[in-house]
Amino acid sequence: MEIARLAVLSVSLALLPVAAHAQGTPSPKDALLYIIWPHDGQTIRGAFWCRFGLRNMGVTHAGDAYANSGHHHLLVDVSEPLDPKQPIAQDKSHLHFGAGQTETHIELPPGKHTLQLVLGDAKHYPFDPPVVSKKITVRIK
Amino acid sequence: MRRLAAIAAGDIAGYSRLMGLDEEGTLARLKRIQRELIEPTIAEHHGRMIKTTGDGFLAIFDSPVEAVRCAIVIQQSMVGRNTALPRQHWIVYRIGVNLGDVIVEPTDVYGDGVNIAVRLEGIAAPGEVYISGGVYEQIKNKLVCGYQSLGDRQVKNITDPVRVYRVLPDPAAIVSVRHRREVALIIVLSAALLAIAIGALWYFVKQQGIRTALKTPAAVQTPKVASPPAPVETSPTARPAPVVAPQSSARPVTEPEMTAIPGGSFAMGSNDDASEKPTHQVSVKAFAVSKFPITVREWNECVAAKQCADLASGTPDMPVTNVSWADAKQFVTWLAQATHKNYRLPSEAEWEYAARGGTQTKFWWGDQFRSGMASCKNCSDGSTGAQLVKVGSFEPNRFGLYDMGGTVDQWVEDCWHKNYQGAPTDGSEWLDGDCTSHVIRSGSWMNDASYVRPANRDHYDTGVRYPTHGFRVALSP
Repeated sequence: MEIARLAVLSVSLALLPVAAHAQGTPSPKDALLYIIWPHDGQTIRGAFWCRFGLRNMGVTHAGDAYANSGHHHLLVDVSEPLDPKQPIAQDKSHLHFGAGQTETHIELPPGKHTLQLVLGDAKHYPFDPPVVSKKITVRIK
Repeated sequence: MRRLAAIAAGDIAGYSRLMGLDEEGTLARLKRIQRELIEPTIAEHHGRMIKTTGDGFLAIFDSPVEAVRCAIVIQQSMVGRNTALPRQHWIVYRIGVNLGDVIVEPTDVYGDGVNIAVRLEGIAAPGEVYISGGVYEQIKNKLVCGYQSLGDRQVKNITDPVRVYRVLPDPAAIVSVRHRREVALIIVLSAALLAIAIGALWYFVKQQGIRTALKTPAAVQTPKVASPPAPVETSPTARPAPVVAPQSSARPVTEPEMTAIPGGSFAMGSNDDASEKPTHQVSVKAFAVSKFPITVREWNECVAAKQCADLASGTPDMPVTNVSWADAKQFVTWLAQATHKNYRLPSEAEWEYAARGGTQTKFWWGDQFRSGMASCKNCSDGSTGAQLVKVGSFEPNRFGLYDMGGTVDQWVEDCWHKNYQGAPTDGSEWLDGDCTSHVIRSGSWMNDASYVRPANRDHYDTGVRYPTHGFRVALSP
C-alpha cells in the first residue's frame, strides 16, 4: 500500500514538469550564463561589442538538440518577465544568435539601457530551469 | 603545392537507403561502377582520381571543360545502367564541379576550391551536375550544353555566396567523346528509353484524363524531347528523363495565387526607426507577388516533390512557419523549376512598395493604428490576440494583397543592412554586405502594432528557423 502510494507519487512528480511545460529542456544545475563585457554600471561611448559567457553548458546552433547546449538571446531593455512556455520572442529588443554567435556589435541610443542574456533550446524555448544571466545596466554617452 | 584546378565531387543520393535495402549487392555494384565507369571516365578526360569515399569520389582536372564533360558522361552512363533495374535499386549520383585554388598533395587535395565542389554536390539534385560560376565562365562557349542559372547560393562555411548553374546535357557534347562501340549500345538503350518516355506520357495522360494535360510543362516536355527521329542524337537528352520525370510529373504543381503589381516610384523608409532611415525614392518595375503568404498546403507540395523540408504544421490554409531564409529559397527554386517560371523571393523594396499599396502613410490604411486590421500582439479589442490565424483573415490593402503586415514575418531576398545608406534605388535586391543575416518584413502575430507598419524592417540569421517566420513569393513578368 505504502509502496504503491509512493510509486504513484513519484510517477506524478516525475511527470509534473513535463505536463507544466512540454518544452522544458532540462538544464544542468551548475549552468552559468553571464555577460563578459560590458560590466554592470559601465559607461560606454558609441557602439560596442557585447560578449557572452556560458559555463557548464555548450553553445550550438538553433535547431540542434544536443544535450546541455543552447544558443544565446540578448534582451535589450526588456522588462516583461520570461514566459517559459513560449519561444523567446523575436523582435528589436530580443536579439537572437541562432548561428552560435557568442558576441555581438550593438549600437544603442544615448541613455540608460539594460542587457540580459537568456539561453534558448533548439526550438528557442527557455530551459528548465531557465538559464538566464544577471540583468546589467549600462549608460551610453 | 598550391594551384588552380577544376575539382569534381560526386556522391550517391540516398546511399544509406540503398545500403539498408541490400548492403552486399549495393556495395558490389558500387565497386563495379567505380572500376568500370568512374575511374576510366576520369582518366579518359585527363583527370586524376584523388580519392573515393564510401559512396563518393573526388577528382581533379586541369581543364574545367573536361571536368564537366566527365561529370555529364558519368550521369548519362548511370541512367543507362539503372534502366534495367527496379527504381528502388537505382544508384544515382549528384555531382558538383568547381574551379578554384587548391592545395594538392599525393593522396588528398584541400582548400575552399574543394569545399565548394563538395557543397555544390550536396545541393545538386540526384542525377544532375551543378557547377560554380567560375566553371561556367570558362566553359559556356566551349561546351555546348544548356545551363540554368540557379542564382547565388550561400554555401556553408564559405564567406561569399557562390553562383550556381545546373548543367542540362546536350547531345553533341556527349556523342563526341564516345567510342564507336558505345554508340551501338546507346541506340539500343535510347530505344528502350524512348519506350519508357512514351509509357510515362501514356501514364501521365491517363492519370490526367481529359483535364488540362498541358498544365505541367516538366511532364509534357519529356516525351516531346524524346520524340525526334534520330536516336543517337536524342538519347542523351532523353536519358536523364527517367531520373527526374517520375518525381515531378506525378502531381501537377498548384501555383500560388499571384497579384500583378504595377510599376511605380515611392518613398521607401521612414523616420520611425534608425534602421528605416534615410527615406529614399525607389522605382519599382511591374512584377507580381503572391496574394497571401505561402501556405502549409503550398509548402507541402514542395515537400511531396522531396525538394523542401517536412516542417509544416497547422491546417492547409495556415501560413507556413518556422522556415529559414534558406528553406524559403529552396521553395522558390523548386517552384521555378517545376513551373518553368521565374518565381523568386521579392526584394525588400518590392515588398515595401507592395505593402504600401500606393500610400505613404504610417500604416497602409492611414497614420493611426486601427483595431482588427492585422494579426499582431494586443491588436484586437477584447482579445489576447496572440495566435496564428489562417491567411487572408484580415482586409486586403489597395493592391489586393493580404497579410502585408502582421500574421507572419516574411523573408525577402536582401541581405541585412542596418540602415539604407547606399541602398539601391531601382527596386532590385541589395545583396552585398553581411549575408549571414537576411531581411524579414511584416512582423508577426507575436509582435506589437509598430511592426505592422510597411516601413518596419528586421533581420534574422539566414539558416535559422523561428516559429513566426514565413514568406511570400514574387514573379517577374
